[in-house]
Amino acid sequence: MTIDVSTVQTPTHSATPSTPVTVPKITINTTSERGVPEVKIAIKDLRFYYKNFEALKGINLDIYDRRVTAFIGPSGCGKSTLLRILNRIYDLYPGQHVTGEVLVDGHNILAPGQDLNLLRARIGMVFQKPTPFPMSIYDNIAFGIRLYEKLPAQDLDIRVEQALRRAALWDEVKDKLKQSGLSLSGGQQQRLCIARAVAVKPSVLLMDEPCSALDPLSTQRVEELIAELKSEYCIVIVTHNMQQAARSSDYTAFMYLGSLVEFDETESIFTHPRERQTEDYITGRFG
Amino acid sequence: MVDSVIGLSKPSNRMRLQQLQDTLFRGTTKFFALAVLALLGAILVSLAIGAWPATKTFGFGFLFDQSWNPVKERFGGAPAIYGTLITSLIAMLIGVPLALGVAIFLTELCPPVLRRPIGTLIELLAAIPSIIYGIWGLFVLAPFLQLTVQPFLKVVFGDIPIIGILFGGAPLGLGVLTAGFILAVMVLPFIASVMRDVFSTVPVILRESAYGLGCTTSEVVRDIVLPYTRVGVVGGVMLGLGRALGETMAVTFVIGNAHKISPSLLAAGTTISASLANEFTEATGALYSSALIELGFILFVITFIVLAAAKLMLLRLDRRSAK
Repeated sequence: MTIDVSTVQTPTHSATPSTPVTVPKITINTTSERGVPEVKIAIKDLRFYYKNFEALKGINLDIYDRRVTAFIGPSGCGKSTLLRILNRIYDLYPGQHVTGEVLVDGHNILAPGQDLNLLRARIGMVFQKPTPFPMSIYDNIAFGIRLYEKLPAQDLDIRVEQALRRAALWDEVKDKLKQSGLSLSGGQQQRLCIARAVAVKPSVLLMDEPCSALDPLSTQRVEELIAELKSEYCIVIVTHNMQQAARSSDYTAFMYLGSLVEFDETESIFTHPRERQTEDYITGRFG
Repeated sequence: MVDSVIGLSKPSNRMRLQQLQDTLFRGTTKFFALAVLALLGAILVSLAIGAWPATKTFGFGFLFDQSWNPVKERFGGAPAIYGTLITSLIAMLIGVPLALGVAIFLTELCPPVLRRPIGTLIELLAAIPSIIYGIWGLFVLAPFLQLTVQPFLKVVFGDIPIIGILFGGAPLGLGVLTAGFILAVMVLPFIASVMRDVFSTVPVILRESAYGLGCTTSEVVRDIVLPYTRVGVVGGVMLGLGRALGETMAVTFVIGNAHKISPSLLAAGTTISASLANEFTEATGALYSSALIELGFILFVITFIVLAAAKLMLLRLDRRSAK
């Protein structure tokens, strides 16, 4: 095995508990690795319309807790649209509407009375490009926490540190927390955004092509981070990069023209897909 | 005739002609551009020369002297400078929050169908000639303020120490406060449209990530949009300020034209531009007109500083969003 430069540089994440400094308390679900996963999000006959155009044509899909689920498919297949329904960010735009049900922990988030701010606190999102807020690194993290909790300064400091540690960013930024979030590199900015999403203690993390603007090294770090975070969160990732889906997800959903073509464990999808379309796509014959 | 008409070593006549055209074109456009700069310089120089007799006679004291006596030929610029600054300040205090509200509504809250019509209507405010604002101010706004807002301000603030002084004296309708009101309406469209433009430079994805964290619209505006566009917003305010400082006609109609500094905002005052508009025709003595020119020079310097600061700030914003 050749030694990759990046693996030498990056500290091993799996062995952190030996350090005495405030390691975030992680409740590790021991049964989660190979046990029967719980359904976190149940999508039922979901249809989505941009004005009159039907972008999603009746999606039925279960997304499991403490697993990484990847949405793949060619551009315009509706994978980002599907992701953007899960935290109802589409609600910002008039003319977009949806029918069907999305049950998160059995609760339909598409119901009219749903409090969107609370929903989005529980379902965090990371975008295609890093989007640090125009404030300091510290405030980028503290901002989200302050929206929901009134904490004394020390507790807030602890929460910020926890979030940054969880995003494997603490060691790189602990001496410059007061600097602007924009001063970080692209990969660091994206991990800052992940830390920011994690800081408000969501149970689901949505990632919309989180590595599309990052170089290979930063991509690797984010993927390592995803692998670590899945012990605590239900993670849904949209990606154009099939290797990424194969590497970092447990389940893969292949979508095409607004329909869900195939959903299965990632291994099965990539080794013996049931559908011809899936096979053509993952072998690079189209898309 | 396929083979080389275009020789590399010998330019053809046609190419030489093209080169000549290019040189001419470059020269002409450069001349136009430099001519504007030369004109600016010439105006500055002629103002300085015209102001020289007054500058020599009154020195720096001109900036602080309150007297304005054409008969004894004693002139001081303080009342006009004070009036210019205070009316612009009032205009900013009223106009900036309004413009901010308009811009936020248009970019964040307005239904898309209404966005364009409302935006256009607000920009149309800028198309109203200032003389119309003056007439409207004199015949409509001033009597209205005299009967309603000014008595109200006197009742509410009149008895409070210090602040009460600002609202002392009889409500005349015409005065510094009214001029500030008119200016606020006049600068509103400028500030609002700059703010609207800079607000729309905030990347969609940045807004979405704030909403994605569970922010309400007001939190997004206060914590994301405004900090992100801070420089541009200040630039827009400065642009409005530059306009308020130099505005002449409307102010001349409603300010009352009195060369004195009065502590009350309800009293009459004057501004630099109003003094110039009113008095140039009757300025007989050399020193009188020179004093007016010096006022003009001072106005030029003030607006130049304000506009240069505005441009600098907008430039910094452009550079950042280009990244």
